Amino acid sequence: MTTQNPARRAAESLPNRPRTVRTTGRRRVSVVPYLFLAPAILLLVVFLLVPIGYAVYLSFQGLRVVGGGAFGKRQQIFVGFDNYIAAVTDPEFVASFGRLAVYGLIAVPFTLGFALLFALLLDHPRTRGTRFSRTAIFIPYAVPGVVATLMWGFMYLPSTSPFSYLTEAFGGGPIPFLDLPWLFPSVANISIWGGVGFNMIIIYTALRGVPADIYDSARIDGASDWQIAWRIKIPLISPALVLTGLFSLIGTLQVYGEPTTLAPMAPAISQTWVPLMTIYRDAFTRDDLPLASASSVILAGGTVVASLVLLKITRKRAFGDSR
Amino acid sequence: MLSGRSGGPGMDEPRTAEPSAAWGTAQKGFVDAWNASHPNIQVTHTDAGGGTDSSAKLLTAARAGEAPDVALVEYQTLPSLIVGDVATDITQYVGDETRGAFSDSTWGLTTFNDAIYGVPQDVGPMALIYNQARFAELGITVPTIWAEFATAAEQVRKADPSTYIAAFSPEEFGFFAGMSQQAGAKWWEVDGETWTVGIDGEASRSVAAYWQDLVDRDLVRVEPLLTPEYNTALNAGQILSWPSALWAPGVIYGVAPEQAGKWAMAPLPQWTPGDKAVAYQGGSGVVVTTSAEHPQEATEFAAWINSSQEGADVQLSTGQYPASTLGQQAAVASPPPVLMPQQTDFWKVASQIAADTIPSITWGPNVNVASSAFQDAMGKAALAGTPLADALTETQHVVVDDMTTTGFQVAD
Amino acid sequence: MSIAAPALDRTVGTRKDRGGRLLPTIVLLVGALYCLVAVAWVLVASTKSPGELFSTFTFAPGTGLLENLGNLFAYGGGQFGKWALNSLLYAGVGAVASTVVSAMAGFALAKYDFPGRNLIFYTILGGVLIPGITLAIPQYLLLSNLGLAGSYWSVLLPSIISPFGIYLSRVYAAAAVPAETIEAARIDGATEARIFTRVAVPMMIPGMVTVFMLQFVGIWNNFLLPYIMLSDQNRYPLTVGLYTLLAKGSGEASLYSLAITGAMLSIIPLVALMLFLQRFWKLDLISGGLKG
Repeated sequence: MTTQNPARRAAESLPNRPRTVRTTGRRRVSVVPYLFLAPAILLLVVFLLVPIGYAVYLSFQGLRVVGGGAFGKRQQIFVGFDNYIAAVTDPEFVASFGRLAVYGLIAVPFTLGFALLFALLLDHPRTRGTRFSRTAIFIPYAVPGVVATLMWGFMYLPSTSPFSYLTEAFGGGPIPFLDLPWLFPSVANISIWGGVGFNMIIIYTALRGVPADIYDSARIDGASDWQIAWRIKIPLISPALVLTGLFSLIGTLQVYGEPTTLAPMAPAISQTWVPLMTIYRDAFTRDDLPLASASSVILAGGTVVASLVLLKITRKRAFGDSR
Repeated sequence: MLSGRSGGPGMDEPRTAEPSAAWGTAQKGFVDAWNASHPNIQVTHTDAGGGTDSSAKLLTAARAGEAPDVALVEYQTLPSLIVGDVATDITQYVGDETRGAFSDSTWGLTTFNDAIYGVPQDVGPMALIYNQARFAELGITVPTIWAEFATAAEQVRKADPSTYIAAFSPEEFGFFAGMSQQAGAKWWEVDGETWTVGIDGEASRSVAAYWQDLVDRDLVRVEPLLTPEYNTALNAGQILSWPSALWAPGVIYGVAPEQAGKWAMAPLPQWTPGDKAVAYQGGSGVVVTTSAEHPQEATEFAAWINSSQEGADVQLSTGQYPASTLGQQAAVASPPPVLMPQQTDFWKVASQIAADTIPSITWGPNVNVASSAFQDAMGKAALAGTPLADALTETQHVVVDDMTTTGFQVAD
Repeated sequence: MSIAAPALDRTVGTRKDRGGRLLPTIVLLVGALYCLVAVAWVLVASTKSPGELFSTFTFAPGTGLLENLGNLFAYGGGQFGKWALNSLLYAGVGAVASTVVSAMAGFALAKYDFPGRNLIFYTILGGVLIPGITLAIPQYLLLSNLGLAGSYWSVLLPSIISPFGIYLSRVYAAAAVPAETIEAARIDGATEARIFTRVAVPMMIPGMVTVFMLQFVGIWNNFLLPYIMLSDQNRYPLTVGLYTLLAKGSGEASLYSLAITGAMLSIIPLVALMLFLQRFWKLDLISGGLKG
């Protein structure tokens, strides 16, 4: 019989169980966990590590004409850092990051802001119709990005937009959703619309996990709902906020589907409006896979750095005390 | 990017059941006809959806060894495919009969460095398609030179402020190339092993200036073609013409079927009175890919669908203007397109236009780069109101850079 | 009203009550309506015939629903139906496989201690940071070397690995499967495999349903991967199929109507699925796992 030490039991059920937990005096070092992990690891290696490795390898190659005169065939040869230099000095690529920043500065705060707001409202005791609202706000998550962009695109187009229809009926002109500068909020709106629900649910379930007694003492002290939300709830759910923030950041850096699908309807969206579109263009339209690989590595690297920075900054705030 | 045939690969594979892709329903007709009459060599057809990405997909597929044996590609993408080692040299497989089926200038569309890389399927000699009914209504005469076109544009605006003579899309690469060629430009020239890039030359700049003028004076709508907006205006009779090519009637009919009977076709306006030459816009040919295991049979197939009687029948029924002499002769005898049933001499005029077409532009090895740079630069210029000619300079820049980096010799 | 004992009644104050009830409700409802407006638009727009689409106010119902449906299903000889089935295949099989793989991996990571555990875990997590395009092309080249490019496998296989699913499974396994239960089973002589299937899995069900749902939605909505991998229209899922309808739409106006109708239909299964599974999945394990 094993000795059931409560402390050990508690220790064992934590994800970061200390390494020296013993069971029945025997140290379990077996092949079993590896077997469980085998499918995942196999798929990981084949579909994640190998492609990444190949992409990095490709980024140092280039397609050059080697002999053959005017119509020589292009072949793949080693070109060192040429692709990286070309990517970084390409004004379009750099500009696409600028546009991405504008888009992100609208999309991320609004997505998280609305998600937080709605989650707080759902958690508010006096709100009615929460089940309906919660479900309704979550529905956009089920809509594929391409479809969402299609729908919103038609709602932006002057000839089919119900909004412009109304403004025109009242004597004004069509609303210039797809012209600069409104283009940025319009595109951001599509991802805000799609992202609020999912993030709201994450935050809401975190809120639900906070015991009610914490609020009660605050209420007795006369704190208003607003103050409770600001001073108590939000700090307590900061891990969830960090998580949603991280998702939004990564999602923003990798935005591709929305601008691409909207492009046929919006002349103001160029082929290189966001970094991933530039990468796609290089890979397929310009048939320059090595350059696209280099740009992808740069983008992926940037994403990793940004994520780590975000985690570092918020770690102190969010996890400082409880760890 | 539009040319009526937005560059879709039509891919078939003899003797195997591997799927292949084709653009549009025309290719299926070809394949069925071939399979019916050639029981020894069977071809399968798959629809890859076409669209502007299809030549890119073909390149990727070829790189992965996944490309079908035969593909339908736009003429302007052919050099990139050659340089990308996707299109194979079929000179040795092309028999005399096939050679005679097309005029020399038509063969020029698929011949580079004295090697044949594909069999032409259809051609798109440029022409003016216009709303005859509305022209009459507003009292506009059909322009024969571009100066008259500009005057007509003014008249249209005056007669009906909600109407424009045409829409100008700064991103229509094929259209602009054709117009430049009509003005005498040569965007790529090769002499021995050295290329010269002339996108930024005098002739092209004057074309840019011409359209710039129309844009500045609000005489043309500046927007992409065939969007919902454009289609609505077309249906409402607010866009009165489309300078494009002979395949245009089918496209217009597709978005505005109720305009049937109201439109007509006329030769494209010229720069100088009395000139007749026009360029090609669009059009596609059939290539045999380097991964084809039976290039002989593949070439036979390509040649047959593009030059036989059955092939011509299929082409005409789907609105293509055949590249083959046989097809063009058959065209003269066929009824006019659905859009203009009242224009009984349509095909006569068409064949006259075809006869006057300038032998093909030489397309360079990086047309895809040029096209995307052109679209970006022109799009930006249109949005910002900067001169279109500057966009040409930028395009030239990008193209020359790309060619030099890739290792081609480019003259200064 | 405010004399109730603090522990029972969360409300304090007087006038704030009425405002406290109305304003939050209204704000939420506005949000809900905003989220639904696009869906409502698609429903209405799909009732319009091609002619009506551009000429009438888009929130006024049209007359062409049946016609649109008919045309949609007839398009390309029934391609829309194929696309729908393909989506179901990719998402259904993919999500099931992914859930199984994730559950196994999560269980191992949570309940066992072995060398390399953290390394593997963080590598898996790092996968979330890589943009899809970076992976898609090399994956395509890899699969074509294996002769699988363009096949159903080319979309299924890469979809199975889900870093986030593994993460969730790990968190859930850690929280829901007590170590002593496992211990007891071991003492009873059960093999590790049995422990997993008989002991752990039943406890992990809510978490696994969550992972399944997230993967199903994710695969169903995925555009980039199938777009790059597939060239045969008959194998396209709904996302890619609808995109090609739209891209072709420049040549034929009627295709816009088809795209809209198709979009409308494609939303229905997912919404239904989510509404149905709502009571089962638990997203709290995502945020719960961070509390340390």
